[in-house]
Amino acid sequence: MNNLVRAALAAAMATLCAGACWADTIKVGVIAEFSGPFAIYGKQYKEAIETYVAQHGSQSGGHDIEFIYKDVGGANPDLAKTLAQELLIRDRVNYLAGLTFTPNALALAPLIEQSETPTVIFNAATSAINKQSPYFLRTSYTLWQVSTPLADWAYDQGIHTVVTAVSDYGPGIDAENAFKAAFEKKGGKVIDTIRMPLATTDFTPFIQRVRSQAPNGVFAFLPGGPPTFGFTKSYNENGLAKEGIRFLGTAETEESNLQALGDAAIGLTTAFHYSEAHDSDVNAAFTKKLGELSAGAVANWASVGAYDGTHLIYKMVEAAGADGPKAIEAVKSLKWESPRGPVEMDPKTRTLIQNVYIRDVERDKDSGRLVNREKGVIATVGDLGWTD
Amino acid sequence: MSLILNIAVDGIAYGMILFMISIGLSVTMGLMRVINLAHGAFALLGGAAAHALIARAGLSFMAAALLAIMATMAIAFLLERLVYRRIYGLGELQQVLATIGITFIFIALVNRLLGSSLLAIPLPDFLQQSVDLGFRVLPAHRLAVILAGAVVIAGLYLTIERSRFGTRLRAAVDNRSIASALGINIDAVFAATFCLGAGLAALGGILGAELLPIDAYYPLRYMVLFLIVVSVGGMGSITGSFMAALALGILETASRYLIPDFGTIVFFAAVMAVLAIRPRGLLGKA
Amino acid sequence: MSVQEIPLTTIRTRIRGVPLMPEAVMLALAVIAYFLFPYDLALLTRIMVMMLFVLSLDLVLGYAGIATLGHAALYGTGAYAAGLFAVHVSADPVTGLVVGAAAGAALALVSGLLLMRAHGLTLLMLSIAVTLICQEIANKARDLTGGADGLRGIRMEPVLGLFKFDFVGRTGFWYALAVLCVCYAVLKVVTLSPIGLSVRGIKDSAARMVAIGSPVYRRLVTIYTIGGAVAGVAGALAAQVTQLVSLEVYAFNLSAEALIMLILGGAGRLHGAIIGTLIFMVVHHIAASVDPFNWLFIIGALVLGIVFFVPAGMLGIPAALRNLTGRNGDARP
Repeated sequence: MNNLVRAALAAAMATLCAGACWADTIKVGVIAEFSGPFAIYGKQYKEAIETYVAQHGSQSGGHDIEFIYKDVGGANPDLAKTLAQELLIRDRVNYLAGLTFTPNALALAPLIEQSETPTVIFNAATSAINKQSPYFLRTSYTLWQVSTPLADWAYDQGIHTVVTAVSDYGPGIDAENAFKAAFEKKGGKVIDTIRMPLATTDFTPFIQRVRSQAPNGVFAFLPGGPPTFGFTKSYNENGLAKEGIRFLGTAETEESNLQALGDAAIGLTTAFHYSEAHDSDVNAAFTKKLGELSAGAVANWASVGAYDGTHLIYKMVEAAGADGPKAIEAVKSLKWESPRGPVEMDPKTRTLIQNVYIRDVERDKDSGRLVNREKGVIATVGDLGWTD
Repeated sequence: MSLILNIAVDGIAYGMILFMISIGLSVTMGLMRVINLAHGAFALLGGAAAHALIARAGLSFMAAALLAIMATMAIAFLLERLVYRRIYGLGELQQVLATIGITFIFIALVNRLLGSSLLAIPLPDFLQQSVDLGFRVLPAHRLAVILAGAVVIAGLYLTIERSRFGTRLRAAVDNRSIASALGINIDAVFAATFCLGAGLAALGGILGAELLPIDAYYPLRYMVLFLIVVSVGGMGSITGSFMAALALGILETASRYLIPDFGTIVFFAAVMAVLAIRPRGLLGKA
Repeated sequence: MSVQEIPLTTIRTRIRGVPLMPEAVMLALAVIAYFLFPYDLALLTRIMVMMLFVLSLDLVLGYAGIATLGHAALYGTGAYAAGLFAVHVSADPVTGLVVGAAAGAALALVSGLLLMRAHGLTLLMLSIAVTLICQEIANKARDLTGGADGLRGIRMEPVLGLFKFDFVGRTGFWYALAVLCVCYAVLKVVTLSPIGLSVRGIKDSAARMVAIGSPVYRRLVTIYTIGGAVAGVAGALAAQVTQLVSLEVYAFNLSAEALIMLILGGAGRLHGAIIGTLIFMVVHHIAASVDPFNWLFIIGALVLGIVFFVPAGMLGIPAALRNLTGRNGDARP
């Protein structure tokens, strides 16, 4: 083995482990989608990070913080791992962040375990990820976290029979299991569980099947974009609302596609952790700054996940510089006021304990835009999908 | 009984949407024999233009749709003169590559101009209503699509099977040099047909947007769907595409009513079976 | 495709002059790259995995003329087979590759029996349908494959019991390079063997080969099965290096990109696949870090440029230039 290379690698590894001693710039590698069908997520992460930096400066605890963005283009664990290696070895980053899709996050687990790099997940919502390494922290939510309170709330509202209709893939099935377990525990009845192929473009058959069973409500989970668009359109056109079949969802009315749904979305009920219309000073400051920096930007789960993730990184840098284990220790039970409301890190699951709000889609009188209007907090919970 | 009626109604309505979104491809690929993977790109152009004209310029749906289709045809005309003319004579693989290249460029263009979120095309009020069929309701826009499909297939039948233009086109596709020797202006015939195909793609993109919403990635997301309709129908046959669209629409709808869990596998297995038994499609010509 | 003949003959004469010259140069470059880019071993390894995949496509498409857009089906099946094998049976990497190869070959054989009867658009569609069915099965078999979350828990033992997979990716690099060399050699032998020559004949004119009594269908199925084995190895290698398999191994994009890489380098020559993959992956890597979304503009223009100006791929550039400057020949077919 070439001695020169060995020396260079040793230097690289040394920075990873104890860079704080002499480095005054802390680097954060952000692995996200900046191309492909999900490019909007990367854009939103970046906008939110820049908003945070604009509000709080580019320094924390005396260290400069620099963000390096890498495009992973979608669910692509091979590339995600390669990019993480490049960031850790060549760019010598001290923190990793981003990660929209579960496989991308999972692929990083063995790496960050070895390099002791705190990694803040902005989205990837499968409970099991955080079990793969103690260096994962998550500022999004898990499907259990929002589906379970929704089931409880729905039962209390007098919705006693429900049909679940979810996209037939991991997250959809998680949502179905979470909802069903909680709803039946309450005493409600899930009449039918429909799993819709991901490639579905015409949802009429599924909507008709829901309709023919005349439940009090339909719990839906679909990936964002075209499937959600098609499902909510179909729900509306086939007059389910008129027949008293209440729509119960989670992320379906998220802000980046909400305007595209049009008036058909009005009245849809969802349980979720963040609404752009959340009424608080922190959120007002966040959305205002976001709008100033990038014209036409909307705030949604991706923005708030990245914003809070950046906050977490700032706090870690402040407390521990580049010392990974110490940094995790420092923020494991951190509490702060997020644009989504008060939040708290759960030391066991390293996922946020946060409010779950029940919201209805309304047209805002002032702006004329569709918004998720929060009607109340239905639970303050951590990751309910965690199993020991 | 009501199940069968539901399957029939939804299947035909969905089949008509499949027909509308893939008819442009039947023209460019089926009649002109270009493996035109950029079909979705023209649908995207039409849809994105309609979105921009309605949402940003405030035009009515009808005016915007008409303008968007014309704009798409104009771009298609330029593209035909500059690029497609050179593609006709290439091997199928080269055609696949060249049209994928064009698709990439259009995706990047739309993303650059309008971003990568959904581009809604709001329908006029009269298309947003529901129509009561007695045993159930059907959205008005699906009836409109069925109507548009009927008009398009009648129009194409008259243009291609019955008119002088159609005779020339078929002659030009079958044998360029002889057709040219007979005094047929091949360039003009091909340019006109290509623009027709692109215009139909834009129309399909706009009318189908309620089910297949427009966004920058539209051409790649639905490419396989378009190709299936045309290949099952058979190259060179408008009627074949029509029948294939209806059959696939009914098949998919039935599988979703009856065996939703295995709908996707059943659908593709059926497509494979048809292509294995009839490699040239239902009504394909040699 | 008369153009392809030009460089082919030049290469043949070159090979006669100095045996395996291109191969020796490529191997030397790979070793040099290891020392020049010590921080990018993960990327280099990924490039080699892709090279292997594109090589297999070259055998199937470049040599035998089987136009497929579903090559990812073979890659993905190899990846899942190797991944499952590592999780449930044995974590020995080399055995895992053999399992991946067997899985890829098995799928190629079974699907090939149907696919090799079709041509043109029908073949393209059938190959896409096979891939989508595989993906849906992997999605459905969630308990086994992890579905959309990915198949996790792959922990590899040291290669040959000696070399542990390390953080920087040194073992991964040499391991991938060794596998690539072995597969390249196998493919070289296959292409020069009677069956390799006969599928070339089938590509030029199937009717002629039937007339001289060659069992065309059986030959195509055989070649497709060999291609499947190599694609399976590529998938298995990716699964072992990443230690995770996701549904994206069956992505249509993967098949399409491999096709672009192959044509970019020059189909019908093994080192064309190597060069095309290298150029595509490096340009992508640079473009993706500079301006990710506009990368589509670049790749779109690149593809159009290749189709219109250098249909024989990068390897055809010297010939195209000669045509342009010297003889007043036609560069296009």
